[in-house]
Amino acid sequence: MTQATGPVEQTQADQSTVLESLRTRLADLKDEPGSLLEALYIAQEMLGYVAPESIEIISEELGYPEAHVFGVVTFYTLFYTEPQPKHIVRVCRDLSCHIAGATKIAARARQEIGAHPGHASADGLLKLELVSCLGQCEKQPALMVNLDVHGPVTEEEVTDLIRSLREEDQ
Amino acid sequence: MPELLAVNKNLFVEDAWQLDVFKGTGGYERARRALTEMSPEDLIAMMEASGLKGRGGAFFPTGMKWKFVRADPNTPRYVIANGDESEPGTFCNRFNMELDPHLFIEGMIIAAYAVDSHFGYIYIRGEYGRAIERVEQALADCYADGILGDDVLGSGYKLDLRLRRGAGAYICGEETALFNSLEGKRGNPRFKPPFPTNSGVWRKPTVINNIETFACVPLIVENGAEWFQELGEGDENAGTKIYCLSGVINNPGVYELPMGVTARELIYEYGGGLPEGRTLKGFKPGGASAAILTSEQLDVRLDPSIAQYDTIMGTGGVIVMDETVCMVDAAYRDALFFEEESCGFCIPCREGTPNLVQILERLMHGQGVMADLQLMEEIGDSMASSFCGLGQFAYRPVVGAAQKYRDEFVAHVEGSCPAGSCAIANN
Ligand SMILES: Cc1cc2nc3c(=O)[nH]c(=O)nc-3n(C[C@H](O)[C@H](O)[C@H](O)COP(=O)(O)O)c2cc1C
Ligand code: SF4
Repeated sequence: MTQATGPVEQTQADQSTVLESLRTRLADLKDEPGSLLEALYIAQEMLGYVAPESIEIISEELGYPEAHVFGVVTFYTLFYTEPQPKHIVRVCRDLSCHIAGATKIAARARQEIGAHPGHASADGLLKLELVSCLGQCEKQPALMVNLDVHGPVTEEEVTDLIRSLREEDQ
Repeated sequence: MPELLAVNKNLFVEDAWQLDVFKGTGGYERARRALTEMSPEDLIAMMEASGLKGRGGAFFPTGMKWKFVRADPNTPRYVIANGDESEPGTFCNRFNMELDPHLFIEGMIIAAYAVDSHFGYIYIRGEYGRAIERVEQALADCYADGILGDDVLGSGYKLDLRLRRGAGAYICGEETALFNSLEGKRGNPRFKPPFPTNSGVWRKPTVINNIETFACVPLIVENGAEWFQELGEGDENAGTKIYCLSGVINNPGVYELPMGVTARELIYEYGGGLPEGRTLKGFKPGGASAAILTSEQLDVRLDPSIAQYDTIMGTGGVIVMDETVCMVDAAYRDALFFEEESCGFCIPCREGTPNLVQILERLMHGQGVMADLQLMEEIGDSMASSFCGLGQFAYRPVVGAAQKYRDEFVAHVEGSCPAGSCAIANN
């Protein structure tokens, strides 16, 4: 299966090649009724987000009106219609994690990333999201970097984690 | 006391997620027996006799559900495993999908045969990366081994199962929203009736069950309906329940116990109680949707009868709170969750959830007034007419907390937080 979000390094020049290969990869889904979410996962894996051009191609290949595809993309929080930073740090803000100190964890993540939740860091590498329960409550407070789960985490560990994510890209 | 391991037994068997290891534990023998030696009617009767009820939160009798689907002449019929598990404080399906994916798949095969369905879906929330990988592998192994496909376990029965991922929407756990999602649509719920048993995915008769419900099925075939019935506490409860424990507790985790243990047993005997020096204030018995119970209610049984205390059993995700947890803040967390997850389709829920959030925010910032407490109840009254279960339950934990811990809410109106932990206290 494809990853929801992950490292995608793309230049403008090869975007059109990517879009053509998206067309090819969608071929498998044509006989699979209702597989729009899977198509969106593929599109997002290839470009890091669901680009307007990807919506156009999905609409053509799978036979949905573009407005329908757009409506679906925007319904689901794991799909993005804008380019995303390489690492999305998702901190759970629901009750169990909150009781276990998630607010401090989120504050530390925000400080290290240097941007408000929902906004990319200045270097464009990281973003913090405050999210609904991740179903990892035995690891309270828990967070995910893209789909990798960490927990229970301390504030110091958040600092180390974010610094090491940055170092990876040096 | 040890846990009562049945559904979770393989969680302690190394690599049980691998097909050969699973088979070594008797895996797929139950399905083989069901498909070659039992009639669909016998299987349905067996499920009814076992007393198995849906573990997804509504506790609908599983045998009866299957019977309704089988009785509908419309075809094709579908089977769906609901692995959306997004209720706060709930994580037990994840363990079963990651560590023992074949058990619930075996249950699905038996269910499909019982209702004469030849196609099914497994819907897993998109955040469960590892569960998705394991289930994908399990399905591939099943196809390679003749457990799925045109000749299931040599019985001549045909069954195909597909894995589908959600993409970050709690509402897609609601069965009709899940159908829409599977059909490539926004996950808005549909009007009921017609019910899924007659009009499910693709408007066809559909069995939809929780992962844990399906996981019980092979064990019932193996050990008999009576065995299962007797696992539960008292006459009303059948089987085990996998409870999830989190919050202020020494040992957060999953615990498989007789359905209907008391909260006291779960929290103190199995969860190790609260950390040294912390005292219990209250607990939520079944995720965010369940209204809080107080420390005086520790001896309630964690089963559907808990509804008599104005709360719900829900998913069995028990969240423990001590004296340092502010009840306004706790209610706020629930409200925030439902505001975020409201699908926006109907007005009482779309408008009501942010209204509750705003009121609780006011209270936590010392800007609340007494009329706010009344207002929350009025908003609750209007939300009761919401289109689906999300909105119909969303206000209850908020209103419930305000009733049970009224003094604490009033203190916030007067400008102080007795627990000393919300925004007022930190200012
Ligand atoms: C808002 C909402 C969310 C739900 N989420 C889930 C879920 O994540 N998993 C689940 O099994 N059931 C969930 N349900 C219950 C399902 O609608 C359905 O009753 C259940 O999947 C049936 O399976 P069962 O009979 O085995 O419990 C949810 C219901 C509502 C109203
Ligand atoms: S109650 Fe809430 S979640 Fe349900 S249909 Fe209405 S807006 Fe959507």
